[in-house]
Amino acid sequence: MEALTRFFGETLDVHGAAALSLAYATCIGSLLGFITVYAMFAIWMERKVAAHMQVRFGPMETGGWHGWAQSVADAVKLLFKEDLIPAQANKVLFWIAPAVVFCGVFAGFVAIPFAVGVQIADVDLGLFFILAVASVEVVGVIMAGWASNSKYALFGAVREAAQVVSYEVPAAAALLAPILVVGSFRLGDFNAWQEQHGWLVLHNPFLPVAALIYFIASLAGCKRAPFDLPEAESELVSGFHTEYSGMRFSFFFLEEYASMFVSSLLVATLFFGGWTLPFVDVSAAPVPLGIVVLLAKTFVFIFVQMWLRWTLPRLRVDQMMAMGYKYLLPWAFVCVIGTAVFEALGWGWLPLQGA
Amino acid sequence: MEALELYTTGVKDDVWTEELKLNLGPQHPSTHGVLRVELKMDGEIITAARSDIGYLHRCAEKIGENVSYLQFTPYTDRMDYLAACNNELAWSLAVEKLVGVEAPERAQWLRVIVCELNRIASHLIAFGTYGIDMGANTPFFYAFREREAVMALLERPAGSRMLYNYVRPGGVAHDIDAEWLPDVLRFCDEFERRWAEYNQLLSTNRIFIARTANVGVLPREMALAWGCTGPVLRGSGVRWDLRRDVPYLWPYAELEFDVPVGEGTHGTLGDCWDRYWVRMREMIESIRIIRQACARVPSGDFMDKNMARAYKTPLKPAKGEAYMRCENPRGELGFYLVSEGGASPIRCRARGPSFCNLSVLESLLPGCMIADGVAIIGSLDIVLGEVDR
Repeated sequence: MEALTRFFGETLDVHGAAALSLAYATCIGSLLGFITVYAMFAIWMERKVAAHMQVRFGPMETGGWHGWAQSVADAVKLLFKEDLIPAQANKVLFWIAPAVVFCGVFAGFVAIPFAVGVQIADVDLGLFFILAVASVEVVGVIMAGWASNSKYALFGAVREAAQVVSYEVPAAAALLAPILVVGSFRLGDFNAWQEQHGWLVLHNPFLPVAALIYFIASLAGCKRAPFDLPEAESELVSGFHTEYSGMRFSFFFLEEYASMFVSSLLVATLFFGGWTLPFVDVSAAPVPLGIVVLLAKTFVFIFVQMWLRWTLPRLRVDQMMAMGYKYLLPWAFVCVIGTAVFEALGWGWLPLQGA
Repeated sequence: MEALELYTTGVKDDVWTEELKLNLGPQHPSTHGVLRVELKMDGEIITAARSDIGYLHRCAEKIGENVSYLQFTPYTDRMDYLAACNNELAWSLAVEKLVGVEAPERAQWLRVIVCELNRIASHLIAFGTYGIDMGANTPFFYAFREREAVMALLERPAGSRMLYNYVRPGGVAHDIDAEWLPDVLRFCDEFERRWAEYNQLLSTNRIFIARTANVGVLPREMALAWGCTGPVLRGSGVRWDLRRDVPYLWPYAELEFDVPVGEGTHGTLGDCWDRYWVRMREMIESIRIIRQACARVPSGDFMDKNMARAYKTPLKPAKGEAYMRCENPRGELGFYLVSEGGASPIRCRARGPSFCNLSVLESLLPGCMIADGVAIIGSLDIVLGEVDR
C-alpha cells in the first residue's frame, strides 16, 4: 500500500490523500478483477472436474477450446437477467445480503500475501483478520434467508448459522498450532519461517493433523460438500439463495469460490510452505515465482475440495454438528497442546530428533 | 426418533416456538416426480406428515375400460415408466388369462430377459437418484451410463428406448436379431464390474451408511400390514418374491436365483440402507437370471398364432374376470379385468406397488429430520406415474 502510494507520488506527481485514494482504487480494482477472473476459471474447472469424474466432458463448445468461455457466457447471462425480488421479501435486506456476503470474503483478500511484498495491507494480525472478516459472511447468509421470506431459504440460513458456529471454532483452534510454532499472526512471517525451517506440516506429528482439521473445517466454512447443508439441493432446493436469481445469485456463487480460494490459500501458506519450494530456490525472482508457486499449491487444494464434492454424500445436520464438536474440536485442542509441549521441549518429529 | 430426543431434551417450557408447515413438493428436487408432502416441522424435525398425490392422474384405469384389450398395452407403459416391460407383462398375462391362451415358449423366455433387463434399468435409476438424494451426484451418472446400455439393448427388438410396447398379449411384438443374446451376455459381464464400482463409490461410503442406516425403520409386521411389496417388503426381512413363490412366467420356476432380503447389516432391520441394498443385490440376481435365460431361449414362434389373428380383428373375450400379478421392480403390480364379452373390459383395475409402498410414508416420517425424510422417500423408490395412474 505504502509502496503503491509512493509509486503514484513519484510517477504522477500526486501526493497525500489523492495518491492514497488512487492507490486504494488500484488495489480494489485489481483485487475485484482477480477474484472475478479466478472465480470464472474455478467454475469452469469445477465443471470440468465434475464432468470427468462423471464420465462426461462438461462444456466443450463455448469459446472453442474445451468450452473455456462457458463461465464468461454464464456471467454475461446472469448480468442481463431480470432483477427479481419476491413480492413478500424484505426488500432492503434482500438487496444488501449478497453485498454483505461478498464483502466478508473480499475483505479477507486484502491481508493475503501473494508473494514477498505483494500484499495490500500487511496486517500484524493478518490470520486473525481473515478469519474474523470471513465470519461476516454468515450474517449476509442469514439476512438472505430471512429476507427471502421462504421457508426453504430460512432453513438454509439457520443451518448456515449452526454450521459456522460449530466449524469456526475447530478451524481457529487448529490454526493455533502453527501460530504457536511461528509465534506470529502475520501471514508473511509464516512464509519466512518456512523458508528457513521447512514446511510446517512436517514440523511435528501434530501439525499434519491440524492441517487436516483446518481443511475439513474450511470445507464447512465454504459450504462445500460433504457440508453443503445450507444449500442442500436435494433437501432445501437451493437453501438460502433459493429466491435469488441473476446478478445477486452470482454474488453468492462468487463468494463460495472466493472463500474456497482463501481457505485453500491459507492451507498452502500456513502448512505447505506458502510461496517456498523445498530444494528449489525461488529467491531469484521472488515475486513472479512466488505467486506461481503459491497459486499452484492453492489450486491443488481447490482441486481436492472439488474432488470431495463430487465423491461424497452429504452429512445430516446433527452428524455435521457432532463431527465439529465431538471429533474436530477435541483433536484440534490435542494438536495445540501437543505442539505447545513439543515446542517447549524443542522437539521435532521424534522427541529425540530435536528441532 | 433419536434425533428428536437429542433436540428436545433440555428445551425449557417458557421458550415459545411455533410449528412450521412446510410443503415438500410438488416441485421439489427429491420427491421423485410430483409428490407433495405436507410436513409439520419442529425446527429440523418432522412432527407430522401428510402426502398428497394425484398431480399426475391420467385416468389410466378408465382409459382401459374404453379402449380395446390390445390398445391398452402402451398405456400400461406410462404407469411405471421406468419399468415399462414389467407393466406390459402384467397386463398381457391378465389378458391372456382372460382369453385363455399362453404365450409360446420362445416368447416366455424373451419376456424373462427383457423384464429382468428392465428391472436392472429401473433399479439403476433408484440407485442413482438415491445418491442424489444423499448429496452424492456422481453415482447418478454412472448409473445412467449402464442404463443407457440397457436401453440400447431393449431398443433393438422393441424399437423404442423407454416405453417399449414390446411384451404384448400373446407373446412379444418382434423377434430378436441374431446378435442380441451375445450382446446381452456381454452387457452382463460389463455390468458386474460396474456394480462393484458402485459399491466402492456409494454403498460402502461411511457418510452414506451413516445417513441411511437406522433411518426410516419399517418393521416386518408393519411392512406386511401396510401391504408393502417388492424391495420395500424384502428390505424388512420378508422373503417374498412372486418370481419365486408364484412363478407367473413358468421359466422363473426353472431358473436358479436368490431372493435378497434385508439383514440389518448396518443397523436395524428394515432401515433405508437395507432397502437400498436389497435393490443393489437384486440387480446381480437379475444378471444371474438373464445369463441362464439367454442359454435357454428356444427357437419357434414369438407370438401365439390365435392372438396374432386377434390383432387384426377386435379381441372379444368371453364373459369372465381375471387377475394377474407380477413382481415389478417396485413390488407387486396386479391387473384385474372384468369382461362382459365386449371389445373392452367393463372394469379395469390396477394394483400398483408404488401406491401401496407410498402409504407407509406418513407413518415413517414423524420424528425424522428433514434430510432423513428425503432419504426415506428415496428408499421407497416410488414412481408417481404409477402412484397417480
